Amino acid sequence: MTDIARRSLLLSGLGLGALGVLSACGGSDSSSSSTPAASGSAGAGTITIWVDSDRAPVLKSAAAQFKKDVGVTVNLVVKDNSKIVPDFITQVPTGKGPDAIICAHDRLGTLVKNGVVAPLELGDTTDQYQDIAIKAFTYQDKIYGVPYSTENLALIRNTKLAPSAVTSWDAMVAAGRKSGAKYPVLVGMDSVQAASPYNLYPFQASFNAPVFKIGADGAYDGTTLGMGDAAGASFATWLAAQQKAKTLNINISNDIAKTSFVSGQSPFFISGPWNLADIKAKKIPYAIEAIPAAGPQAATPFVGVQGFAMSSKSKNTVATQKFIVEYIGNADIQYKLFEAGQRPPANKEAFEKAKSDKDVAAYGAVGAKGVPMPAVPAMDSVWTDWGNAEAAILSGKSADPAATWQKMVTGLQAKIK
Amino acid sequence: MTKEDFTPPAQREERVHRAQVRFSGGAWSWVIKIVLLGGFDALMVLGLLAAVAKASWVIVAVIAVGTIAVNLIYLPPNRELPGKYLAPGVAFMLIFSVSVMLYTVYVGFTNYGDGHNGSKDDAVLAIQQNNQARVPDSATYKAAVATKNGGGDELWLIVVDPKTGQARAGNNETPLQDASGVTTSSLGAITGADGYTVLDFAAVSTRSSEVSKLAVPLSDKGADGFLHTTTGSQAYVYRSTMAYDEKADTFTDTTGTVYRDSGQGSFVSADGKTIQPGWKVNVGFSNFTAAITNSQVRGPFLKVLVWTFVFAIGSVVSCFALGLILALIFNDSRLRGRRWFRLVMILPYAFPATMMTMVWSGLFNQDFGFINQVLLGGLQVPWLNDGSWAKVAILVVNLWLGFPYQFLVATGALQSLPDDVNEAAEVDGASGWSAFWYIKFPLLMVSLAPLLISTFAFNFNNFNLIYMLTRGGPRFTDTSLDIGSTDILISMVYKVAFGDQGRQYGLGSAFAILIFIIVGVISWIGFRQTRALEDIN
Amino acid sequence: MSTAALNPPTETGAPRQSRSRGPRGRGLWWRYVVAVAACVFAVFPILYVLSASLNPSGTMTGSNSLFTTISGSNYVKLFANPERPYGRWYLNTTLLAVGVSLLTVLFSALAAYAFSRLRFRGRRGGLLSLMLIQMFPQMLAVTAIFLLLSNLGDVVPVLGIGSLLALAAVYLGGALGANTYLMYGFFNSVPRALDEAAQIDGAGHARTFFTIILPLVIPTLAVVGLLSFINTFNEYVVASVVVGNDPATQTLALGLYQYVSEQTNSNWPVFAAGTVLACLPPLVVFFWLQKYLVSGLTSGSVK
Repeated sequence: MTDIARRSLLLSGLGLGALGVLSACGGSDSSSSSTPAASGSAGAGTITIWVDSDRAPVLKSAAAQFKKDVGVTVNLVVKDNSKIVPDFITQVPTGKGPDAIICAHDRLGTLVKNGVVAPLELGDTTDQYQDIAIKAFTYQDKIYGVPYSTENLALIRNTKLAPSAVTSWDAMVAAGRKSGAKYPVLVGMDSVQAASPYNLYPFQASFNAPVFKIGADGAYDGTTLGMGDAAGASFATWLAAQQKAKTLNINISNDIAKTSFVSGQSPFFISGPWNLADIKAKKIPYAIEAIPAAGPQAATPFVGVQGFAMSSKSKNTVATQKFIVEYIGNADIQYKLFEAGQRPPANKEAFEKAKSDKDVAAYGAVGAKGVPMPAVPAMDSVWTDWGNAEAAILSGKSADPAATWQKMVTGLQAKIK
Repeated sequence: MTKEDFTPPAQREERVHRAQVRFSGGAWSWVIKIVLLGGFDALMVLGLLAAVAKASWVIVAVIAVGTIAVNLIYLPPNRELPGKYLAPGVAFMLIFSVSVMLYTVYVGFTNYGDGHNGSKDDAVLAIQQNNQARVPDSATYKAAVATKNGGGDELWLIVVDPKTGQARAGNNETPLQDASGVTTSSLGAITGADGYTVLDFAAVSTRSSEVSKLAVPLSDKGADGFLHTTTGSQAYVYRSTMAYDEKADTFTDTTGTVYRDSGQGSFVSADGKTIQPGWKVNVGFSNFTAAITNSQVRGPFLKVLVWTFVFAIGSVVSCFALGLILALIFNDSRLRGRRWFRLVMILPYAFPATMMTMVWSGLFNQDFGFINQVLLGGLQVPWLNDGSWAKVAILVVNLWLGFPYQFLVATGALQSLPDDVNEAAEVDGASGWSAFWYIKFPLLMVSLAPLLISTFAFNFNNFNLIYMLTRGGPRFTDTSLDIGSTDILISMVYKVAFGDQGRQYGLGSAFAILIFIIVGVISWIGFRQTRALEDIN
Repeated sequence: MSTAALNPPTETGAPRQSRSRGPRGRGLWWRYVVAVAACVFAVFPILYVLSASLNPSGTMTGSNSLFTTISGSNYVKLFANPERPYGRWYLNTTLLAVGVSLLTVLFSALAAYAFSRLRFRGRRGGLLSLMLIQMFPQMLAVTAIFLLLSNLGDVVPVLGIGSLLALAAVYLGGALGANTYLMYGFFNSVPRALDEAAQIDGAGHARTFFTIILPLVIPTLAVVGLLSFINTFNEYVVASVVVGNDPATQTLALGLYQYVSEQTNSNWPVFAAGTVLACLPPLVVFFWLQKYLVSGLTSGSVK
């Protein structure tokens, strides 16, 4: 046998060896963590919850407490945040899905449409949560999740560049120009194709053009768009004017907006709490305030609520509900979750406690006046068309902004019926 | 030609070696073969037993057929030679690759997707769950789950009426009746009642599925609603707004409207109202007819198809040309630092494509990107904002992502060229360029052409790049659809199948099959051409 | 057939020098120019990633001023999070990629040998099918693989969801295909006379394959091995279905992506640091394979 042949055989051997090691890893891991039935010999059973890795450490202590109190093991499976909802929808029907997941409330419509979540009974604990959080997790009159945190946009003002607060868009732009900074105001865009309906929504809302009309029950009517007509047209015209005045720029991505703000190139930045860490790191003096209105009404941002929802095929609904309603809903745990993720807690008591952090208090105050992001399944197609129309206007390609806007609304209305 | 031609000088060693082959090779190879086959068979029998125990008959059948096939292939010496060489790869391919294909084909004939996600039983369960509403402003009952002494294993619910303080008990069949002797813990939890044994939480938890079905009627009249506990310690009054009749297989709501199984995977009322969720059923060819007759797709179809070909062919040609040129350059031993140059060449391949696509989108930013700002000295080329420029940008990014693969493959292929090719060229007096173009290149193409076809097919379906870089935009203004100048076929059908109506796997699969037919036919024609190429050589 | 074909074709440069093309170095400058240009093209987007990885508050696309801050804090963070065991991912991924790529090379080489040397019914068709199967749009791969493995896992737990071995098996399902075709082309370039001679010497077909043919196609084995190594190393979609449920079994591509999968809470700098370190194994493998890639045949002749 030649050297090389021997070497190649050796390599194949190595390959098999590596796979052998893998099987050893896989085997031991799967027996310890992914087959709960085997380890759940404590008697009261096991429930499985999918969480993302940011939340996992805090929930671990809650799970340990639960195990101590009632004997049920909570198996926390850490998953990639973006995979939780799609995998849940696929896996629940096979009977192998988890008992509960963490999710953002705007996915509720899709989850309900697929029959994979069960309504929860919060009992008399409903009023322990902020109204907006409960409203967000209510879909077709039923509550499908225990909310734990809220997040929303606000205006971050560089107090050195702009010493006084502003109350309207025009005043903000004027103050911004006066400051001599490179950009009067920064609003980040997701991409040049889709603008950023989320970041621009507060301004749209100030023109009284909500995405969906609010029904008599206070919930969104997922079949009737509210952003058409004269209100929508005036927002579209306003957008076009900003493009001409170069106050809004489609090419300023979220990254560029953040980098520019933390390097002191603008006094005003429309942003969520997620950029605060970097702003603090660069020692920018800042204040968090309500977003100034561009139109006649208040500029209310969307509020996103995170929470826990239960599988419709959970084999242990009793323990699952007890854990997510009584433990995750608990003010102490919500406060700990806040400490881990720095989002205002949904539980009122925990929120009051978290308010000692002035940033949280400020964001919470802005969010309390906001509206939940719509959860109707039709939302997915709305985001795309909506963003495309904004992008067409903001890139200056639309000769008649109001017509572009109305065309988008008419098209969407036909799609969502 | 004789064997001496390649027999190295060490003749003696060779002869000894040959003798070894003759005398030991046969026997030893038999031993090895039997041991390996025996081990394999033993594993398969274990698997078979496990599968029988779990009653997974499909797996039983696959294991049985597979084991027999492997033994038939490997046991007889010097027979079934192709099988012996093909079996390992083909086995994995059949189990893990072809099955995915078949599943896609199967889904193409169903309505699987959002709203039709699981089985009918799941749907009925979910509808029932979704339509049990707690009576507004009704009180909370303190509750406990119990068994009746002497009443077997059946679960009962004991509650304390919040208005009267009276203890009551009942189960699914027995409406609430008075109970006595209720004891409570210091925290107020019910711990016992005369004639009942209260279950602790662990017991409630293990019997959770029964507890969740426990619905105790408040009275004989169903309209009063029923008590239901979610956590075992509290109960609430519910009313069902949608009653399921198992025999008739219908739902009836509070207004008396009857919803029937439409045969299309959902319950539908006479006036066409549908209850969510539905379930998965076979729908025959309707996904295919929907795919072909889809009016949304038809309008921009031609434009998209042309760009798909331009993109796929353009990517293949540009990546291959660059890869080959670089391979040739770095094959020249006079060049110093070739090892390091080569290492740099594969850097783009070693980083995750998704991340790098994002970086590129930043580089192409019209106002702030490196390309406009630095390379082009402040020019305002609307790279991603304009249809034509966006196409150029996509081709550049794909060149960056794709040339290292071609470089590697071409570097390898250059080694397979026999040295006499160079000499032949020399004899013919061909210059460097024409030696390459007329002699080496055709030879290289014999082994590389099939790979180029496969690269073509890959790019034909290169959804990720398009979606990450431009999402298909900038959007066409003459259609209400989310389709734009850089959409290729696969991204267009993705938007149609997974856009407005949620994820329609059935329709998506039908599209996938149709696209596969298109790519398959083109590639098949391509392969026939390469075969011709091979014959010429 | 001439002996030339049997002499290992070496790097084309060596004989060329002896053939008096002119003084050493002439016509070389433009090669350097192209080489350097190609390097710039290949590297400059990666500089953004490197810069972001060294800047604690960096972004991938926010700025053209690179390397304004140099700090190793992102790399420290990478190894400091027990919820995201980077070291474990590194090990998992490397083992997985080594195992899968070696077996891919073996399977492909076996199949390519059959297609190149044996004549059987369905040879052409088989070769074509291998290619065509790989062209099927993988829209539903995720769902199908989940169903397949979750059923398989009921019977054989080690091949179920959550097992790296199952993931390796799925990757091996794609071992044939373009790889086989690549090798097929090379095998065809090895003169048949070689195997015939070996058989005259009494070597069986298996011995001929392992001792005569394989050593002669080392460059292509290296290419296929490297391609497979890198693909396995960076694969995300299938890995997320199979081993996505437990940090201890995840791969690098999968684990790192968690740093950025939440749109509003993404941590690009740490992600960038993770990918910078993650590109080392493929590069090391490539560097090591280079000698086989370009000079395998000189050392591969029959002894």
